[in-house]
Amino acid sequence: MPKLQTVGLGKRFGDLDVLRGIDVTVPDGAFVAIVGPSGCGKTSFLRIVAGLEPQSAGQVLIDGVKVVGPGADRGFVFQNDNLLPWRTVLANAMIGPEIGGRADAAARARTAALLRLVGLAGFENYYPRQLSGGMRQRVNLARALAIDPRILLMDEPFSALDAQTREIMQTELLRIWEQGRKTALFVTHQIDEAVYLADQVLVFARRPGRIREIVPINLPRPRPLSIKRTPQFVALVDHIWGAIEEDVRASVFNAET
Amino acid sequence: MHPRRHAGLISVLAGLTLWELASRVLIDNTLFLAAPSQIARAIIGLARSGELWRHVWVSGREFAIGYVVASVLGILLGLALAGNEVRRAALQPWVSGFYATPTIALAPLFILWTGIGIWSKILVVVSLVIFPVAINTEAGLRTTSARLVEMLRSFGATRRQIFLKLSLPSAIPFILAGLKLGIGRGLIGVVVGELFGARAGLGQLITQSAEAFDMPDLFAGVVVLAAAGIGLTACFSWIERRAVPWTQD
Ligand SMILES: Nc1ncnc2c1ncn2[C@@H]1O[C@H](COP(=O)(O)OP(=O)(O)O)[C@@H](O)[C@H]1O
Ligand SMILES: [Mg+2]
Repeated sequence: MPKLQTVGLGKRFGDLDVLRGIDVTVPDGAFVAIVGPSGCGKTSFLRIVAGLEPQSAGQVLIDGVKVVGPGADRGFVFQNDNLLPWRTVLANAMIGPEIGGRADAAARARTAALLRLVGLAGFENYYPRQLSGGMRQRVNLARALAIDPRILLMDEPFSALDAQTREIMQTELLRIWEQGRKTALFVTHQIDEAVYLADQVLVFARRPGRIREIVPINLPRPRPLSIKRTPQFVALVDHIWGAIEEDVRASVFNAET
Repeated sequence: MHPRRHAGLISVLAGLTLWELASRVLIDNTLFLAAPSQIARAIIGLARSGELWRHVWVSGREFAIGYVVASVLGILLGLALAGNEVRRAALQPWVSGFYATPTIALAPLFILWTGIGIWSKILVVVSLVIFPVAINTEAGLRTTSARLVEMLRSFGATRRQIFLKLSLPSAIPFILAGLKLGIGRGLIGVVVGELFGARAGLGQLITQSAEAFDMPDLFAGVVVLAAAGIGLTACFSWIERRAVPWTQD
């Protein structure tokens, strides 16, 4: 049984047809990236899977069970870190267990271990304003992992970072992901990021948002950053770019996304 | 080292010197103006005779009780306003109306109702302090970030959890700002309440000194009030730095 499945998923905001007929099947432990032009409904798709937004048509199944709302089986990593400024790093990462009523010593120990995993050892008692953007996104990731979700949902988590930090975070994310091999959905508008991270890239088209193409990425793991310069990698990026170029141009020239 | 702090100190010293000179040379008439040195002497004299402490005790009690009552009621009123749309719609015109009204003008009425004792002053203070506190509390609760609400919802937070873990803490800087605003208004309430009739208190000291054309004592009362206002506000700024450090930068 697939870990995650969407069947005929559709979303309308009033007259706006945001998503239509999205059929996705994600096997357990797969890393799936979603790319597409701005405004094609990537965030909406992820929010529906997270149970934060009701769909207008179709359904989302996790282990064959219909999603009806948010749940501890899914961890969301946000585009803006969305950290609570009055909480320390550890207290921020503990928010999930706390909301679930499981903020015991064991959960604290596990969360502290996760903070070490994401490279924040020694920063447990810092406040968000004392951290760099990259470190805040690490907290964002640790916070999602702290509820030990079955599926990790990530919405352009590195888009606010500078190019170098972003590449480091990509390798770090893969390193962390290799430890648990959780099923992952990763939204990005950077094609090379999608190819570097994923087993499979879903290319979205816009107006209405739908799947244009599913591109399997058969690059070996673990992947060093240097893989980005191999002909195979470049060919995959070129191929995906070809699939969305027209759409991206349209979205750039129709400023009203 | 601290050019800004020095500038402030120098400006205050220069101002006091000018004042001293003006009241000795230009308006050498204690019926109109008292020099800083005379005021200082008046304060020491009042303190020695114990009269100052009697006034401070009376005014301090009026202020403290009124301020605490108004703070508690104001925060509760703010919570009531923020909690429910219908309730907000029903209460908002009253709160906004009373906030805009110079409720200080009701002081004589409060004295008619409750006499010239402590209760009339407490009522004046409460009427002045409660509304800014309520309005700030409500505004603070209403500005809860939608992104952060969504973050909590993604972890399955209930409405109650969202309120306790997000809305309330993010409203605290606003609530503190309202309480800080209330200090000045509360002190005004004490003085004006006492102007309309009182047996003791700093406002009464000022009125009584004015009637006796005793400028040093009048200014002594004003200076003690100013010091109380500055001191309390500084305390609050200190509390703010401790309690809500994330708003400082
Ligand atoms: N809550 C909402 N209400 C109305 N329109 C929305 C809402 N959320 C998103 N949209 C619209 O849906 C479209 C897709 O948005 P989004 O899912 O954010 O796209 P993407 O993440 O791919 O850039 C956009 O045109 C956006 O304006
Ligand atoms: Mg988006």
